[in-house]
Amino acid sequence: MFAIFRKELRVYFVSPLAYAFLVVFLFLAGLFFYMGIALTGEASLRVMMGNMAVSLIFLLPMLTMRHFAEEQKRGTFELLMTSPISLLGLIVGKWLASVALCTIMLAGTLLFPAILAYYGNPDWGTIWMTYLGLWLCCGAFCAAGLFSSALTDDAVAGGMAGVLLLLPFWLLGSVESFGGETMSAFFERLALLPHLRSFSQGVLDTADLAYFAGFIAIFLFLTYRKLESRRWR
Amino acid sequence: MVEVHEMTKRYGPFTAVNRISFSIRTGEVVGFIGPNGAGKTSTMRVLTGFLPATEGRVLVAGHDVFEEPNLVKSKVGYLPETPPLYTELTVGRYLNFAAEIRGVSRRNRLARVGEVMEQVGLSGWEDRILGSLSKGYRQRVGIAQALVHDPEVLILDEPTSGLDPVQTQGVRTLIENLAGDRTIVLSTHILGEVEALCSRVILIDQGNIVVDGSLDSVREAAGKQHYRLRVESSSGPFSDLGVIAADVGELSTIRRVEPHGDGSLRVESEGENPCHELTRLAVDKGWHVLELREHRPTLEEAFLNLVGKEL
Repeated sequence: MFAIFRKELRVYFVSPLAYAFLVVFLFLAGLFFYMGIALTGEASLRVMMGNMAVSLIFLLPMLTMRHFAEEQKRGTFELLMTSPISLLGLIVGKWLASVALCTIMLAGTLLFPAILAYYGNPDWGTIWMTYLGLWLCCGAFCAAGLFSSALTDDAVAGGMAGVLLLLPFWLLGSVESFGGETMSAFFERLALLPHLRSFSQGVLDTADLAYFAGFIAIFLFLTYRKLESRRWR
Repeated sequence: MVEVHEMTKRYGPFTAVNRISFSIRTGEVVGFIGPNGAGKTSTMRVLTGFLPATEGRVLVAGHDVFEEPNLVKSKVGYLPETPPLYTELTVGRYLNFAAEIRGVSRRNRLARVGEVMEQVGLSGWEDRILGSLSKGYRQRVGIAQALVHDPEVLILDEPTSGLDPVQTQGVRTLIENLAGDRTIVLSTHILGEVEALCSRVILIDQGNIVVDGSLDSVREAAGKQHYRLRVESSSGPFSDLGVIAADVGELSTIRRVEPHGDGSLRVESEGENPCHELTRLAVDKGWHVLELREHRPTLEEAFLNLVGKEL
């Protein structure tokens, strides 16, 4: 698992992908940070977080898209699967590498709270909770991205599938006006952004933690099943 | 070392390999041959544990591939049809990764990687990016990757496909050097390769084993050994080969004679080599012998006969 983790991180950083990704991410983060300050005048990352989560829906699948699609295409999947490593270790290793890259990326935005602290008096608890929320969000998107990458042997198609897979979780939050009360409550539970809200308010709700943990576990499990089933066809 | 018992591999309704059985002893170099789509790659993928067999039992290095896949995988080195390379990594990093996932301990890893690089002729290439290598060198890296954990069984799927003659020769020499106490299974549809490398041939066609044995037994199964005799008179070629054939046919050791298309005679003997008698006959009759040779069917001819279509 750690062999895979190290290899994936190395591949990230010897290809331009990781750098391009970091640049886009930091640019967007900076933009949303500025907008948040300009709009609300609060010393918080509340606005930035919501917008970042939405843009990650489009960004993260691009990061994870090559994982299994490319292994499949280049035939390196055969190398991995004829080595005495477990499929689960392979998936978790790849997931951890993506999450590690996200962690580096989030670390790059620590400049913003530093600015807030210089000019204002932010609530540090809320800021760290915001980061925890974003970080969990990255983990969840990486898991979904890995799954969509396992669906195909074309990296771009894998990335698109990842976006398509994640979009409903964002849009579901906006369908409250449709359907009955139970339905909208159900969708509200399923949607992503409501679960992030408590984090940005500085509240650690176990229900939200469980939501993200479940999200990650389900998609990693689906990836496992998908790859496993591939061998039997 | 390798034992396959009634193994079947199906992809949906399509049967790629149909109840084949064979066993390979330690140290043997076995060539899998057959037309494209015969089931060679499927068989190899089952042997390496990449794909599970639909039915049957497969033992490699004493372990069941299905029940103890990781034990088998740690003892098998596998080179797929296209070398499985991470084109953005360097040769050294890649082989180090391969060694790591193959379970080579951290302490031995560097030494092992150095050893295999020397073995395949890649010394000094540690820092080259894999994507920049030529096909021949990629193939070498592919073989190095299969060797890095010092496997007991080496499975090579078309190790020389797509290489130029010089590279092909290089890879063949490499494989020759690897044989010995290691069991090697390789697949190819280049028959000269089998002739150069393998002590035993398994010919697969449409998922079935057609021949399993030495190269000679393949030739034997494919067609009779015979002799070619080409003679002419002092004044030039004979106009009627039939007369000559009749003369030759009277010799006691000859079973059959018939004129061959190119103006020579195709001679089948009763068993012993008839060249001695044929020359004496030619001297007695005053024929000029232009050609007298033993004709063994080439492997190509043998396969065409056995498979009944173009390879």
